[in-house]
Amino acid sequence: MTPLITPPGPVFGRRLPLVVGVAAAAGVTAAVLSPPDVVQGDLVRLLYVHVPAAWTAFLSYGVTFAASLGWLWRRRPGMDRLAAASAEVGVFFTALAITLGSIWGRPTWGVWWTWDARLVTTALMLFIYLGYLALRRATPDPLDRAKRSAVFGVVAFAQVPLVHFSVVWWRTLHQPPSVIRPGGPTMDPSMLLVLLGNAVVFTLLYVLMVRARARMAATEDALDEAQDAHPGPLAGDAVSAPLLATARSENTDV
Amino acid sequence: MTTLPVAPLTQCLTLAAKDLRLERRAGEAMLVTAPFGAVALLLAPLAVGTDTPLLRQRGPALYWLVVLLFGVLVTMRASAVEGPAQLAMLRLAGVGPRVRLAGRAVANGVLLLGFQLVLAPVAVLLYDPDLTGWPWVLPVFVLVAAGLAVLGALADALAVGLAGRTTLGPLLVAPIAVPLLLGATGVVQAAGYGRSPWPWLLLVTTVDLVAALLAAWCARYLEDLA
Repeated sequence: MTPLITPPGPVFGRRLPLVVGVAAAAGVTAAVLSPPDVVQGDLVRLLYVHVPAAWTAFLSYGVTFAASLGWLWRRRPGMDRLAAASAEVGVFFTALAITLGSIWGRPTWGVWWTWDARLVTTALMLFIYLGYLALRRATPDPLDRAKRSAVFGVVAFAQVPLVHFSVVWWRTLHQPPSVIRPGGPTMDPSMLLVLLGNAVVFTLLYVLMVRARARMAATEDALDEAQDAHPGPLAGDAVSAPLLATARSENTDV
Repeated sequence: MTTLPVAPLTQCLTLAAKDLRLERRAGEAMLVTAPFGAVALLLAPLAVGTDTPLLRQRGPALYWLVVLLFGVLVTMRASAVEGPAQLAMLRLAGVGPRVRLAGRAVANGVLLLGFQLVLAPVAVLLYDPDLTGWPWVLPVFVLVAAGLAVLGALADALAVGLAGRTTLGPLLVAPIAVPLLLGATGVVQAAGYGRSPWPWLLLVTTVDLVAALLAAWCARYLEDLA
């Protein structure tokens, strides 16, 4: 028996998982060995994960936006798969950033959650992209799904600058930008190095996850196409229509 | 026989009038969603506490929250769905996707304005808010209705034909429409404290403009969804 589709190879690839593993080990080691903060103490180590997670979420949504535009322009299925994969990974990293921020906020601010502009806009961004994923899930036809989600992928991105600039536009408990800001970073160089290193690790992790998810989506699409081309038996196939005009039934039933 | 081309504005207003006529027959927005919104205004104090001074202070915010959440339901009403045959007829008649979306948004805006005006006296009656600076609320009514109408029309176009349309639409609109909620409550608060509400009005106007531009841009991509 011949398989309907050719497997595209390992979903995660061979070299990139190794690179990500080594980079992650280096990132964790650097975060553990870095000096404690004067004010926050060891809690600062959480920020080496929280901040890169937030940055990666922004990157994810930026890629979703660009890939959505790309799909609307070229109509290539790969663009749709990239946009969807990036949004899924973005939702994961947004949830991670919120959770880690909450764990950091409890000992620092005294609460798990506060009505701060950055927190609220980030939570809204999470729900907007959950809506994006719900829209995809609700649309069975691949072309329809790609079209609807590409349009919403562009519309949804309007929220992202709002999240980034929320700490500038509103008076917030959340600290203002301390790395990407006019006048240069305000962090100690040793801490900044660890933070940037972990940002690279998270970016590599993002690439790994998006690539794997996009490959899985390509396999799913190929499977769907193969099933459409070679439809299997349907539930009603085994049932045959009753014979209404036989001689015996005419004699007995009428 | 020659036929004169119909101006897009006339097409848009005709479509909006058609939507409003359908809604008048169905009565979904004004006879179902509006009473449901009034019930929400009545129930909210039972959840947060029936403390009269607190409700007097927080009543306007509760009102705008109900307008946002239930207003989305107004835009996702069943009478705002065109079947494939109706869409084909509109296409053959030369009605463009932008005009169709604009017509839907105009009808949504009129209904939302009516929805707000129906609920406003209920909120005043139940919460007895401080009405200082109330004339500022009038432009907010129009601007919030316009913004929510465009976003609702866009979400409706995105979710049209899907099984979960009426639940998916609010999920798509509500988080994006939050600046409208902030702006509306901000205007009311600023007017109440005697401060200038212009920044909040500017926020709502900006959201309206961005939503209109996005809707105008993406309308052609939503052409053949049904």
